[in-house]
Amino acid sequence: MMISKMLLGAASVAMVAGLAQAESHMADTSGKRIALSNNYAGNSWRQAMLQTWEEVGGQAVADGVLAAADAYTTSENQATEQAAQIQNMILQGYDAIVMNAASPTALNGAVKEACDAGVTVVSFDGIVTEPCAWRIAVDFAAMGREEVDYLATRLPDGGNLLEIRGLAGVFVDDEISKGIHEGVAEHDQFEIVGSVHGDWAQDVAQKAVAGVLPSLPEIVGVVTQGGDGYGAAQAFKAAGRPTPLIVLGNRQDELQWWAEQRAANNYETLSLSIAPGVASLALWVAQQVLAGNEVPKDLTVPFLKITQDTLDESLASTPEGSVANVTYTLGDAKQVIADAQ
Amino acid sequence: MTVLTKPWIWSCVAAAVAYALILGLTSGRGAGELAYAALSFGAFAAIVGLGQMLVITLGPGNVDLSVPATMTLAATLALKAMGTDPGTAMLGLVIALFVGFGVGIANYALIYFLRLPPIIATLAASLVYQSLAIWSNRGLRIKPPSGLADFATGRFLGLPNVAWVGLFLAIVVWVVLERSVWGRWLLATGQNMRAARLAGVPVELVRALTYISVAVFSALTGYLLASFSGGAALNMGAEYLLMSIAVVVVGGSSIAGGNSNVPGVWGAALFMFLVVSMLNSYGAGAGVRNVLTGTIIIGIVIAASTRRVRA
Repeated sequence: MMISKMLLGAASVAMVAGLAQAESHMADTSGKRIALSNNYAGNSWRQAMLQTWEEVGGQAVADGVLAAADAYTTSENQATEQAAQIQNMILQGYDAIVMNAASPTALNGAVKEACDAGVTVVSFDGIVTEPCAWRIAVDFAAMGREEVDYLATRLPDGGNLLEIRGLAGVFVDDEISKGIHEGVAEHDQFEIVGSVHGDWAQDVAQKAVAGVLPSLPEIVGVVTQGGDGYGAAQAFKAAGRPTPLIVLGNRQDELQWWAEQRAANNYETLSLSIAPGVASLALWVAQQVLAGNEVPKDLTVPFLKITQDTLDESLASTPEGSVANVTYTLGDAKQVIADAQ
Repeated sequence: MTVLTKPWIWSCVAAAVAYALILGLTSGRGAGELAYAALSFGAFAAIVGLGQMLVITLGPGNVDLSVPATMTLAATLALKAMGTDPGTAMLGLVIALFVGFGVGIANYALIYFLRLPPIIATLAASLVYQSLAIWSNRGLRIKPPSGLADFATGRFLGLPNVAWVGLFLAIVVWVVLERSVWGRWLLATGQNMRAARLAGVPVELVRALTYISVAVFSALTGYLLASFSGGAALNMGAEYLLMSIAVVVVGGSSIAGGNSNVPGVWGAALFMFLVVSMLNSYGAGAGVRNVLTGTIIIGIVIAASTRRVRA
């Protein structure tokens, strides 16, 4: 079963790669080496990201599309450490560096050094602002707005919302929260009556929500940032309150909980987040740049959205305890590039 | 000696004030709910705090920075071994405690044989433990067996089961510290290691057992927290590094060692939960909340330490 699945996956990647070679008359990248510079590995999203990189990168090397696709992770999630890592990669002679950056600005110096040394730099998820690098960004603010837009379709009468934010001081947290507040300004039947930081972790979110719930009026909806929806649900349950409409973030335990609630009382919600497989998109974008194709510097990746209709399918394809994922192919990368042009 | 001269009173007073301020906002609504949540979440901080207190009591420079990694590793291995199968709760507990024991021995071996300062030894070792946790399960969140999850989230005589565990351990630690030879040895070692050694205290044995204790306490907390929150996550221990040290200091134990304080740890654990809840309830933003939390902690530490000087 496992082996047949793996073979199937390998075959499809090989096919796409084959197609790519057939249609791309640009320079051959079989001698090019790409490194992944990753700043953090300590949660299930990052683990899924690294796994996708390993699979897609390993396959690309096996197919002769690339000479190497190596992953490196820093241990302490610090910009200084990652800057040193990038300098090492320049010395090791990589042709391209794909990075998930610890800071949007603090690594600009190291990124510039890489560009000056002729290395292609593609940043994704945690992007860098240095103009010489490519950026595969997620419109986090749009994700926040979309959550409120969805609540407005489900709860036309509005009501009180609880906002669960991520890690204080991180760019992504500010962006999603900004989008949520814009959405609430637009749909003024909603009011955010409480806001807590859940650090994108179920146990932290559960603790924060449990602490603030006694002081809150009736809550109709919970807007989240991913990795915190299950904890929020547990806190509402422990407090003996009715479960509000909680927007989820694609974690398997959240989807599992959603499926159970749906079976018990027709619970309906929306789940959205960024697929960890965005690393594979960044790999193919770097490959395209190395192949000499025209690639705009700013690309946008869509979120992975799970609705009532696609829940079963997503749940079945997500390993227990992991995050819903999609692996991007070279074709997807070309589509994203074409859309940006 | 009146009750006001006890250093632990300040953390308890602060917890009570934070509790009263939240209830002031809700005009008394949700009092039981809030107390229950504080006891549940405070229990985890209290158990790691008790362990950290024993190490800090050993004297200047003694601290265990591998607490978060130990929690994560013990919880990950225990939950993986149990694999959500019913009736495996004891197996998981044994594995978690065994991991804690092993981690404690490893930490102490680094400190003793390599003569590394404990801060460096435990910090370096924690990278190894965290990597082992990542390697063993790649961050997949496995659900605890339902019986164990029910125990961890359940209650007995109106109090959360995890709080009973925390209270029981607090009493054990208190008895050991105040009423046993080993406790006296620990305090003597913390006050002056050289004097203690010359007086015939088996100083290295005391230190070894202390580092094992903190690791076992951390492992137990990891096991309970993972069972409580529906699975082990790689970042589950992150906030317990500073938390474990903060509850010791806020609780009135001396950061310089040689003076420990069990009731204060529980008071501080409740306070740390309630102060965040209070600031959240009053709608303070993240920046304001962090500044106020820091200021309040400094205030309590000053209050507790000046009282001690006068007494």
